Amino acid sequence: MADSTNGNSAATISITVEFTGGLEILFSNEREHTITLPARLSDGSQPTISYLLQHLVEHVMKDDRKGLFIMEDNVRPGILVLINDADWELEGEENYELQQGDNIVFVSTLHGG
Amino acid sequence: MAPTACFNCKEARAVIIRPKNRHKLCRACFIEIFETEVHETITGANLFFRGERVAIGASGGKDSTVLAAVLKTLNERYDYGLNLVLLSIDEGIRGYRDDSLETVKRNAQQYEMPLTIVGYGELYGWTMDQVVEQIGKKGNCTYCGVFRRQALDRGAARLGIQHVVTGHNADDVAETVMMNLLRGDLPRLSRGTSIVTASGGSDIKRSKPLKYAYEKEIVLYAHHRQLDYFTTECIYSPEAFRGSARTLVKDLEKIRPSSILDIVKSGEDMAALVPREVSQSGKSCKSSAAVEEEATGGCGSQNGRTSGGEMAAMEQQLAENEAAESHETEIQLPKKVNGRAPKVVKAQTLGHCERCGYISSQPICKACTLLEGLNRNRPKTAIEVGIGMEDEEGSSTLARQMEQAQLTNS
Amino acid sequence: MPTKELSNPCMECKDVEATLDIRKRQLCSDCYKRFLAYKIIRRTDGYRFKKNQSTRPKLLLPLSLGVSSSVLLHVLDSQIQRQLAKPIGAKVPFDLLVFVIEPSTIATSDNLHQQNYDLVLERFSTHAHTRLSIHDIFDYIPDMKEVMLEYAGSQFVDDSSKSNKDRLAAFRNSITTATSQTDLDYVLLTRLIVAVAQKNECEAIVWGDSDTRLAAKALAGVSKGRGASMTWQVSDGMSPWGIRFEFPLRDLYKTELEQYESLCQELSGVVIPDPPLPDNVLTKNLSIDELMMRYVQTQGAKYPGVMANVARTANKLQPSSSDDSITCSLCGGLIGNVKGNTGVTVTSQSGGNQGSKFCYGCIRSRPDPTR
Repeated sequence: MADSTNGNSAATISITVEFTGGLEILFSNEREHTITLPARLSDGSQPTISYLLQHLVEHVMKDDRKGLFIMEDNVRPGILVLINDADWELEGEENYELQQGDNIVFVSTLHGG
Repeated sequence: MAPTACFNCKEARAVIIRPKNRHKLCRACFIEIFETEVHETITGANLFFRGERVAIGASGGKDSTVLAAVLKTLNERYDYGLNLVLLSIDEGIRGYRDDSLETVKRNAQQYEMPLTIVGYGELYGWTMDQVVEQIGKKGNCTYCGVFRRQALDRGAARLGIQHVVTGHNADDVAETVMMNLLRGDLPRLSRGTSIVTASGGSDIKRSKPLKYAYEKEIVLYAHHRQLDYFTTECIYSPEAFRGSARTLVKDLEKIRPSSILDIVKSGEDMAALVPREVSQSGKSCKSSAAVEEEATGGCGSQNGRTSGGEMAAMEQQLAENEAAESHETEIQLPKKVNGRAPKVVKAQTLGHCERCGYISSQPICKACTLLEGLNRNRPKTAIEVGIGMEDEEGSSTLARQMEQAQLTNS
Repeated sequence: MPTKELSNPCMECKDVEATLDIRKRQLCSDCYKRFLAYKIIRRTDGYRFKKNQSTRPKLLLPLSLGVSSSVLLHVLDSQIQRQLAKPIGAKVPFDLLVFVIEPSTIATSDNLHQQNYDLVLERFSTHAHTRLSIHDIFDYIPDMKEVMLEYAGSQFVDDSSKSNKDRLAAFRNSITTATSQTDLDYVLLTRLIVAVAQKNECEAIVWGDSDTRLAAKALAGVSKGRGASMTWQVSDGMSPWGIRFEFPLRDLYKTELEQYESLCQELSGVVIPDPPLPDNVLTKNLSIDELMMRYVQTQGAKYPGVMANVARTANKLQPSSSDDSITCSLCGGLIGNVKGNTGVTVTSQSGGNQGSKFCYGCIRSRPDPTR
């Protein structure tokens, strides 16, 4: 698996990731995270939201309840994803290729009313 | 991917795809259309009258915050002439409600609405922390849900307000429809989808102006208007939504986004198909408004959303029914039974609780029953305000505690 | 008086060892079969040859060659055979018309199930039999072509020079999502089955839906906006075409029917095993019907009573009283709201429904020109 610790790839991109709507509980109660990813993966492709999800689960999420964030290798139903403030459905969902400076927001709709 | 233009104004960048019709909208058009649709729901159902005092059941969560923001906007834009106030319930859960009540207090300032907070402690003599101390974490959501339902009405009555609006959204209604199908609850199937429900002894009207609004759009509305709302899972019901009808509804939305409103539509149609003897049972209240009695379970702070445990309880009940039934009829094999017997449906009669007067299908309402159990087992040292001699059953009635309740105005 | 010691006697006949477990009762295989048959037959008991009638009622039994409908056929056949075996005054309650829509014309890749069908003809020879392909719908319902054209919208082109088979395939291909395809396939099947029943003057259709299937159907139907149709799609009741729909298997779980099938010699070689439910498919790629079937089966394993409750609840709904209502030219469902429903979902939320020939549910499954 491609890994951000791979020493050869110097080029990286930096994005901000926000968790709201209760999701922050799963991410050390921090709303905003700055995430650095390789600009290119080992197979030459750009990192996508799918890649980001994997990265978040493996490297950022300390909470064991992965199932509250990820289901079937994708964002759990009921969690909205905004890519630069736009619904990710407008941007190709999990296949969206991340760009330097992107702002990705995960909002849970599952919590209290 | 090139930015998509807004379906409505054809100019600005679309940031939203609407679940119900897949329209792509920009921020400004989305906010306006969302508000307009709530306005259409309100006028279509004749929810309000000019000069009416309306209490918004406010939890500090997304739904009630959006409801308050939208109602304020619409009240000004269309000159409804409403007198809006915020009404909050303090369940008495330290570390949970404290923060959300702070949010409500900020909302009160932001929307310039007066706020009233009613506490379980004052109303029932028990805070949720104390309930949990007594009965443990298992099953406490039932207490919370039952107490909450009455608390909003009681609070409104105290303020002399006849109408409480809540933030129930289309997802909540869809979930209720599915849940009532699963639990085979015809009376609730017949009224669970109503936008207006008349409530307990105090003739307080309840309504859900966001009934047709997707939860997704509510969250996005709050996001794009940068509303100040609070989110935390109740500390006493972690993962309350697992394995429930709620998960099913979310899965459905993933497959076909319109399905949430489709379920609401189905629910409304089926409500009209529930046999009259069931749907009209106990309809002592005037008007066509449905009667909504106390909920049997679920967490109030989650709008009565379902929990996984509810299915197990339901199954147990049904298994008992089935066992009883098969002992009576099915042991003797071939015996003539009319295959086309008329459908027999058990009606449910709603009356009033003998103790507190709240609407109930039983002689004693759920809250009073729960309180009785709590009070009977309460350690003598912990007796508090409003509860007198514990051996005297009638003394701990809700009605009396209501009289003694003090409302905290802030 | 039993002389031998039985370690676990059948709770019913007490003569034989119990080998099976049903609803917490231990039965021998004969009593198990009788128990199931009883639960089924009591639901068709209303259909009988009455003195004042000149002809026996005729029931159409749609046979999918799956477990449930095959068991239904077996039970009703046994009932009729028992009557025929009586020397005098045989009171055969009703005639059966067994109708098969060749499964290979519905599913895309399956082989013809000629052998299975031949066995049905051979073993259930008392009854009338018909077999058609799904695309025969054009011959049985003359205005189907127009309805389809109007429904599918401007992008769909019907080439009438092509065979019925290709035309139907083209129509089905114009439907984009798995949910809508499954939804419409069910509509088309129902229409063809009803048309055959009408042509053969059947009084009712006896459907082979198990309790499990009915629960999934109810939940899926409600999720697709078809709540108003539950009174005949899940309840026993009058269909929009003046033929009653009956679901005699409504008290029985799928697993119980499978048990019965395994005890019946006459059904071996007849039943086509169900294709396994896709379990590695992502939820979002399932159809709503598949999702609900999966839900009912997984939850039903833990909470069988709750799932049974769904179909029971739907069966308590009463059909709308208004006769003047307009029905959908595709599925036969009600257009607009059920009388007494003052909800606004139809008028303001789905747009363009007024004056439509199609109901809310069918409009939802329509090919979406904007996508």
